[in-house]
Parts: sequence; structure tokens; C-alpha cells
Amino acid sequence: MTTIFYLLAYFAFAAFFALACCKIRGYLAASPLHVRWEIYPVPHEGKKAAYGGSFMENSDWWTKVRHVEHFYDILGIFKEVLLLEATFKHNHTLWFRTYPFHFGLYMLMGGSIILFFTVLAGLLGASPLWNPQEMEGFVTFIHNVLNSVVLIGALAIFGGGIALICRRMNDEGLAVYSSREHFLNIGVFVLFAFLTLMTWACNADYVILAATFMHNLLTLNFVPQESNLFALSMLLGFFVLLWIPLSNMQHLLLKYFMYHDIRWNDVPTQASVTNQNLIPDLLKKQVTWAAPHIAGDGTPKSWLDVAVNVPNKTEK
Amino acid sequence: MNKHLQIRDISTVEGQLTTVQENDLPQQRLDLKFMPWKPYTEEQKQSFACLLDEVNVLNIPVPKSKAEEEDLVNRFLTGMRKLFTTENNFTCLPMLQTSMDNCVQCNSCSSACHLFEMSGENEMYRPNYRSEIFRRIYKQYIKKEPFAKWRYGDLGLNWKTVARLGELAYRCNLCRRCAQTCPIGVDNGLIAREIRKVFSQELGISPKELHEKGTVLQSRAGSSTGMTSQVVKDNVEFIDEDYSEITGIEVHTPFDVKGADILLLHNAGEIIAWPENVAAFSVIFQEAGLSWTLSSKCAGYDGVNYGVFYDDAQLARIALMHMQAAKELGVKKIVIGECGHAHKALTVIADRVIPYELQTPRESCYVTLRDIVMSGRLKLNPARNDFPVTLHDPCNIVRLMGIVSPQREILRKIAPKFREMPCHGVDNYCCGGGSGFAIMSRNNIEEWRGNITGRKKMWQIGEAFKDCLGPETKKYICAPCSNCKGQIRELLAHNDLYEKNSFAYGGLVELIVNCMDNVNPGFIKWGEDE
Repeated sequence: MTTIFYLLAYFAFAAFFALACCKIRGYLAASPLHVRWEIYPVPHEGKKAAYGGSFMENSDWWTKVRHVEHFYDILGIFKEVLLLEATFKHNHTLWFRTYPFHFGLYMLMGGSIILFFTVLAGLLGASPLWNPQEMEGFVTFIHNVLNSVVLIGALAIFGGGIALICRRMNDEGLAVYSSREHFLNIGVFVLFAFLTLMTWACNADYVILAATFMHNLLTLNFVPQESNLFALSMLLGFFVLLWIPLSNMQHLLLKYFMYHDIRWNDVPTQASVTNQNLIPDLLKKQVTWAAPHIAGDGTPKSWLDVAVNVPNKTEK
Repeated sequence: MNKHLQIRDISTVEGQLTTVQENDLPQQRLDLKFMPWKPYTEEQKQSFACLLDEVNVLNIPVPKSKAEEEDLVNRFLTGMRKLFTTENNFTCLPMLQTSMDNCVQCNSCSSACHLFEMSGENEMYRPNYRSEIFRRIYKQYIKKEPFAKWRYGDLGLNWKTVARLGELAYRCNLCRRCAQTCPIGVDNGLIAREIRKVFSQELGISPKELHEKGTVLQSRAGSSTGMTSQVVKDNVEFIDEDYSEITGIEVHTPFDVKGADILLLHNAGEIIAWPENVAAFSVIFQEAGLSWTLSSKCAGYDGVNYGVFYDDAQLARIALMHMQAAKELGVKKIVIGECGHAHKALTVIADRVIPYELQTPRESCYVTLRDIVMSGRLKLNPARNDFPVTLHDPCNIVRLMGIVSPQREILRKIAPKFREMPCHGVDNYCCGGGSGFAIMSRNNIEEWRGNITGRKKMWQIGEAFKDCLGPETKKYICAPCSNCKGQIRELLAHNDLYEKNSFAYGGLVELIVNCMDNVNPGFIKWGEDE
């Protein structure tokens, strides 16, 4: 049973990364070059972004060097991810519920990353986080920080999650669109946060439990967990990892592309030789739309054929 | 009829799904009259799917048998499957796919939508209502996700779902204000357009004003107005004669000048409905000493491209004709006249559809005009524009192209009493005629534009002029886009606002010519002057 528990952990991590890669690959494969679908303001326009302006405000813009300030794109996405800026601006009531929830997630994700690297450092000779007797110096400090991070993070997820569920149930507009999956998604996190809080409260030291588990994972040392509550919360955590890429929570993975590759992708073809070369290839793709004005006659056609052959008669 | 719809109602409700009545509409500063809906005739009900509300854009024929019902559903599903293939939809698949998979239903988009707000928050107009129906069909019937019925609810797809969804795709102005506010990056405007594509590209169902009388006519005759090359040249010659007399300047609009610097691409509707706009461009370009021309090649004199509203194939065909007209003349650039969707279609969308070697650079007329006005090449007397002016921002040019400043630089220079509307620039609201509705009036579409879609624009106008409402002060609504002007014209006329408030509307070029020192005064006309 203990071995299965550890194998599930490896499987959950591996499956998460595999599914995440599939999702991203699927996005990139959907089209080598989609049409420009930008929407302003676009942050990399720099000063113009303050009012939503673009390079197309310049006369003969194609003769001028494009100044793309990527720093503002990065700043923009950081503000959006870390502060949920758009929700704050456009859905204030929801922000007060969803921000604690997301903040809690960031705390636990960040805490897990710190835990991983601290345990890894311990394996490489630094003070061992998983052994309270030998722990010292900076690692002790990290240990204390992590214990606070887990408590604050789990409380934020729990509180935010409950508030989100209540909002979905009681807001007339949201209720129409809230399916079982929405409640499942939030509910799983709430339960996970609850088990984490219980584990934190019922055991002497949460971080030692987590560090020991991480140490065992990294050293293939399949020994039983000291706390059943911790084991239960981890099992739920494995499910969450798997579930994220399969549900609408995949926005964790695709938001970057939805902002950078769609909303802010304003690269004119004139400025991209790669794009110039892609267009003729894409126009060779076969079209099977059945309407009479496209390929309704059943003759194999490419997009190029469709564009250059305009039907002479009215179809309808 | 239910105003608090559930998702499943799209499939289960018998008869008309919902309605918006006078008492649902928010009150506002300007006195706007409710335009009563004309009831459907029995013949209409028997012939066409009148199942959504009082408006009928698509006129989808009612299936005559169970087999025809199933055929409609199956053809729709076949079209949806094609929509999710790279071969058939390389243009939009990444945007569509991500909008299908990532929406968390937070409804942040709702308050951004002028239709939702101005319909008294009727559920049908919530940007997510249409999207979520489409999404659930996708997950349950196309992607066939495990446990989809349990996870999202069983939608119960039938012919009524399909007919209503098609119609619902035409309850959106495609202004993409909702997309601008989405925290994730989901685009409900795109989804509405993709549904329109399935209907047009697979089922051959589209509004006749956009297809038969729009792109098909334009491809065949050269213009969606039906004007042939010779008719356009004759009309422009008449305009030149008339406006030479009116302005006191000998106006000559050049056609087919090979090697000119600029091909000016008007919306041909201007030639018929707003000749003063065509004349004003000619006066400005001529007096500024530009090297420019119009084209008389098929479609080269009409920048309209209604394909951008409903059909990728038609979009590509028209855009290609525009590019060919420019290449044939060997111009250095195409300057697009005051037409919002023409701007976006040819500058932004066509940019990755038309092979680069066939392209000619495109520039907005706002930019060209800004350079002319700021260069001092025209002698301008802003005192002639000494009346309150406000500016409407066409969504396609402003939010979707980021051209915000040039038109304002011009107005600050030539209109001393220029004031912004609330929610201006990239935060603007659609005029209510966006995505082709400005040219439609049948089947209660005109009433719909007056009652719901144009209402937010009228709120903006009322707020911009709140200090000078009434007939005493002449006021000018600058709407530099052909479709937007058409919509504003009808809103003003229907509500008697020309008389009640001394409004005039028009483009940017008319304001420029109105203050040109060497032009006879009074180029812009108010109701009583016309």
C-alpha cells in the first residue's frame, strides 16, 4: 500500500507535466499562424499603451523600426497573474472572493517549490529540513516560513473557496452557468485546504511531515506516512494535479498564450519573414466547407483556390 | 416568456424564447422612444424559425419533417467539427479552442456588454449565454468529453437549439468589449463570429444583406451598393461638380492614376448616402497636394468587406480584390477612408491571409489626415467650428487597431469645443450597428437597433453634451465610420433629436473642410439648413 502511495505521487507529477505539455503542444499545433486578433491596449506599445495606442498610429509605419517593449508585456502578465488585475477592474465583488483563493494557491505552490529545493539542498549536504534534530541556520528559518506559508495559504484557499461556492450558489447570474464541475473544482481545493489545515493543527510540525515525504520521494525510500491526515491530503493533491490540465483550470497553463499569442500578438507580416513564408503554405490547406460558395460542389479545393475563384452566380 | 433563462431553455422552450419590452429598458438623459416590435405574421412563423425573440436575422427555414430536423442538426455538427480542424480554420482555431476550454464562467464580461446592460440585463444578451451553449455542444457532441452530461449538464441538442443558436450569433455587435475585460483571455465576440461561420460556410445560411447583397454582389458588380465602375465614376463626377459649387474650390477626384502615392479606398456607401464625405476627402487631399487616386477596378472603389462579420472565404476574396486593385495601380500605400470594418479587414485580418508579395501597405485615413492637419498645408480657421463636438470611436479602428490619438489630435486643433464621451478611446461602446446590422432593417432589426443596440451610444452622446442639451446650441457628433454614421443617423431621426437637440452628425473630414479658410463657410449643415 505504501509503495502504491509513492507510485501515485510519481504518476501524478509525471501525468501533470505530460498533460501540460500536450495542452501546450495542442495549442501550438492548432495553427502555425492564426490571423491577427489583437485587442488594445497592448502593453509592449510602451507609452502608447497608456491610452491603448498602437504602431498603426504612425504614418508609413512599415518604413519605421518597430519598438516592442517586452518588459511591459512581462509586467502586464505578472500584474494579471499575481494581482488578478482584470477581475479587480471589471468584477470587484468576485475579486474579493477569488483573490484569496488564488493567493492561497500561489502560497502553496511557492511553498512546495521552496520545499523541493530545500530538501534537494539537504541531500547535497546542506542542513536537512526533514530532520528537526540536525536542522540549523537558514534552513530553520525556511522551515518556520514554510509553516506560516502553509497555514496562511490553506486558510486563504479554504476561505476564498467557500466564498466562491456561496457566490456561485447565490448570485443569480453565476448560478445559471455554474455546473457540477465548477463546484467539483472549487470543492476539491476547499477539501484539500481543509485537510491541510487539520494536518497542520493535529501534528507537531507540518513542514517536517512534508519535507520527510519529499525526502522519501527523492530518495525512493518508500516508508509509511506518520500522519494519516497528511497522507489523505496528499492523495487529494495528486488528484488535483491530474485534474488541472483536464478542466477549465488549465488556464493556469494557457493564459500566457491567450495574452501573448492572441490578445497582444500584433506582429505585422511585413515585420516577420517567418510569417511571410507561412502564409502560402497555409493557403494550400484543403477546404471542405460544404456551402455552395466554398466547396459545396465536392471538388477538392485549397484556400487559395477558394480565394481566387469567385462564383459568378448568386447561390441562394 | 421567460427573461431569466437557463442554459437548457435554448433546447426545451416551445415558441419564442424571450422578449425585451419598454419597461425593461434603462432610462437615460435623452428622450428615446421605444419602437414597438412588429408581431410575426402567421406566414413568417410557419416558414421561418421565429424562436428566439422578436428579431429574425437569418430566416432559417422551419424543417418540414423529422428527417429535415435531424438533417439540420447533423449538418450543424459536421460544420462544428470542421471548425475545430486546422485545415478548415487555421485562421481562428487557437483563439476558438482556448475560448472553449478555459472559460471559468466568472461573468466579468457581462457588465462590459452594452446589449446586456441596455436590454435590462436579459439573460439572452449576457455574452456568456451564447458561448456557453456552444461550449456545451462542443464538449458533449464534438469533443465527447468523459462524463460531459454529468459535468456540465445535458444540453439536449435538437433543431430548435441549432436555429436559436444561429440567430443568437446575430445578437452581438462583435465589438469585443467583453473580450477586453476577460481575466483569462476568452473571447465571446470571436465565438459569435465562429458560429456565424458554421452557418455560412457549412449550411449556406447568412443574412442576405451581408452575403447575397453584400460580398457576392461586391465580387460580381464591384460594390455592395451594386454600383459598377462606370456608375461610381459618374457619381463622383457629379459630386465633384456639386461640391465645387458648394465649397468654392474646383474639386477634381482622380481615378486610376498609375504610380500615385496613395490609393484612397472609400466605403462606396458614402458616395450614395454621404457625398459630402467623399467631396471633403477630395478637397483635403487636393489642397494638401497629395499624389492620390481612386480605383475604378472591380471592388477597388468599395472598401467594404462584410466577410469580416460572417465568412472567412468571402473575407479573403474581397481582401484579395482590394490588394489587386492597389497592385495594378502601383501605389505606395492604400489609405482607408472613414469605414471601421474596412480598416480592420484589410489592415489587420488580411495581413495574415493574403500572401505578402500581393500586399500593399495600408494606413488609416485618421493618420494621413492628422499629418495633413498638423503639417500646416491647409489654412484652417478653428473659429468656424465653434460649436460643441464629441467623438465616437469606431470599435474596429480604436479597440481593435489601437488608432486612438490621431483623430483626437485633429479635433483638438480644429474644434475648440471638443469634448470626450464617457467611456471613450479603447473603452468605447459600439454604435449599435456593428457587425453589419447598420445596413439591415427588416424583421424588427431596425427596432432592435433603436431599442437596444444603439441605446448605450445615445447615453454616451447625452452625457457628452449634458451641459448644452436642447435646441438652442448646435452640436456635432463626429462619427468617422460609415456604418456608425448610418446607425447614428437613424437613432437621431427616430427620436427627433435633430430638432429637439440641434444635433448634426458626420465624419472627421467634414469638420476639417468646415474650417478651411479657402472654402465657403457652412460646409456642415444642421437640420434646418439642409
